[in-house]
Amino acid sequence: MTVPVTWQDVAALLPEFFLVVWASALLLLDVFWIREKRTTAWLSALGFVVALVLAVGQMGRAPLLAFRGMVIADAFSVFLVALFALSGLVGILLAQDYLARNGIERGEFYVLLMFSVVGMMLMARVADLVMIFLALELFSLPLYVMTGFARPRADSEEAALKYFLLGAFASGFMAFGIALVYGATSTTSLPHMVDVIQAGEADLALLTAGAALVLTGLGFKIATVPFHMWTPDVYHGAPSPVSGFMAATAKMAGFAALLRLFVLVFPVVADLTPVLWALAALSMVLGNVAAIAQRNIKRLLAYSSIAHAGYMLSAAVAFADPHLGPQAVAAILFYLVAYVLATFGAWGVVILLERRIGQEGLLLEDYAGLSRQYPGLAAAMAVFMLSFIGVPPTLGFFGKFYLFRVVLDAGFVGLALIGVLTSLVSAYYYLRVVMLMYMKPGEPIVRREPRVQATVLAAAALTLFLGLTAASSLYAWATEAILRFG
Amino acid sequence: MVAYWIFALVSLLMVLAALVAVTNRNLVRATMGLVLVLFGNAVLFVLLEAYFLAVAQVIIYIGAIAILIVFAIMLTRHVGDAWGPAFHRAWAWAVVVAGGLAVGLLFWIAHWPAADGKAKSPVDPQYTKLLGKALVAPDGYVIPFEVASALLLAALIGAIYVAWGGRRVKGPYPQRSEEKEA
Repeated sequence: MTVPVTWQDVAALLPEFFLVVWASALLLLDVFWIREKRTTAWLSALGFVVALVLAVGQMGRAPLLAFRGMVIADAFSVFLVALFALSGLVGILLAQDYLARNGIERGEFYVLLMFSVVGMMLMARVADLVMIFLALELFSLPLYVMTGFARPRADSEEAALKYFLLGAFASGFMAFGIALVYGATSTTSLPHMVDVIQAGEADLALLTAGAALVLTGLGFKIATVPFHMWTPDVYHGAPSPVSGFMAATAKMAGFAALLRLFVLVFPVVADLTPVLWALAALSMVLGNVAAIAQRNIKRLLAYSSIAHAGYMLSAAVAFADPHLGPQAVAAILFYLVAYVLATFGAWGVVILLERRIGQEGLLLEDYAGLSRQYPGLAAAMAVFMLSFIGVPPTLGFFGKFYLFRVVLDAGFVGLALIGVLTSLVSAYYYLRVVMLMYMKPGEPIVRREPRVQATVLAAAALTLFLGLTAASSLYAWATEAILRFG
Repeated sequence: MVAYWIFALVSLLMVLAALVAVTNRNLVRATMGLVLVLFGNAVLFVLLEAYFLAVAQVIIYIGAIAILIVFAIMLTRHVGDAWGPAFHRAWAWAVVVAGGLAVGLLFWIAHWPAADGKAKSPVDPQYTKLLGKALVAPDGYVIPFEVASALLLAALIGAIYVAWGGRRVKGPYPQRSEEKEA
């Protein structure tokens, strides 16, 4: 009666299995054998390297539904899983010195980070409604704790509590939405759901309501207006490496599930197109306008991340069009790569300049004079800012180019116009950072932390050189990362 | 017939216990009322031949959640003190809303075509076995099951860190008491 686990099933989830086992083993090692927390950090980084190799090993295989259709290893999920493994590695490189110098380095941090990354990987793999909820919780819960990792600092605790309460609320929306979608289609399996919808057996009103609630839950995770209220406070209060990790990866995970659901399963709920349109437009406008008023670099990056969620969502507005869906997916994946590189880099610079946790060195004025003393660091920061604006030849320019092309192809001229205009607005506050670094005199104090510095420089080099040389081949690669069921 | 009388007795007990849980001003006594309601629930599950649910009800709700509530009460100050009025000043409105909802639900259930008082199919005596197998079978829900355990492990680590971790933290960053002095 029962089918044994086949090697194929296991192979489909190999990076995740490896990371869970590695994280659990590390938890024990950390308690009983490891003296230096540094060793735990290195071992978890090694775990991510192995996971990355395993994920790369999955590339180029035929899409595979595993464990009776619970998860899927298709090109889309493999692309994102590799990206998540890399992000986990970068997250550890950024966090290690910061935690040590602030006296909050504990083995649990790395283990929680690994569990969180596993949850994110599963978000890219989901082929069943049950899995979406579990993966969402698995990547969110460690993030709540990591946000509060600088306890008993009040702002870190406050951020963790805010994030947790609003996150639990969003999970409630998500669960309710999943229940309604199940009610409308009487199945939790996404491939089966596609069949039911195509056969016209689904209750469309119920499905639309369910999809809207799911969108609310995911909109919270990717921080789109009006579900963005927590973002500035949480990014501000959390330890900087956690904010950077969150800004980069939580958005990827949210978009992974959002794209799979809306492009693959929900094209039938085209009624939601205006809703997505409004969410994207509001995020772009409010994120960029609010960022202008910020004096704290962490809050500035938080608002900027809201704006970037808006840009990516603007391509997702075309989800209901069967021809543009794959293009939108490719454009968003490409933009995610550009955004993640610049985000990790920019947060790395923030980490290098932050003097005491959550205190000095976080205002924009503290960046004055950076180019004199640390020309390499200032140049890297300038590259990230230009990439955020979308100035050629950085990767961010190509990201915006592909995004707006999809938006225009879909016929949303107004939305593309809002995107271009808000990009112009965003130039004001991004360039202010560059201006301060290069034009104003100042005595910035920068940490000498080779791992963070190396990460920042590598991110800057990739942002610049991938933009100059390999943008189109990267886009071609993203185009191959199509969503499929079987 | 015996089942019918047991049902009536248990239901009556549950309603009374629920009233105690809501109206008693002593938190510990209110909790005991709640425990009684939950236990009655378990008995109802037994009457419905849902034995697995009955046991789960006892273990999870009475064994774990009720204990948790008692611990939470004990850990807060003024244990068991009657504090403040038991009734909100808008209690009459609450009665109207709750009563309306109850009447509506009763009306809806009474007109529900499936509710003719007879079970459509007898419970499969193997169903606990099927449930157990479905949870861990490779062609069932083994992956969600395992992901849930990873989730619980992560939550446990996180909870322990949040509850205990900070006390042993040493280092240059300011503790809250220092911040106050500064």
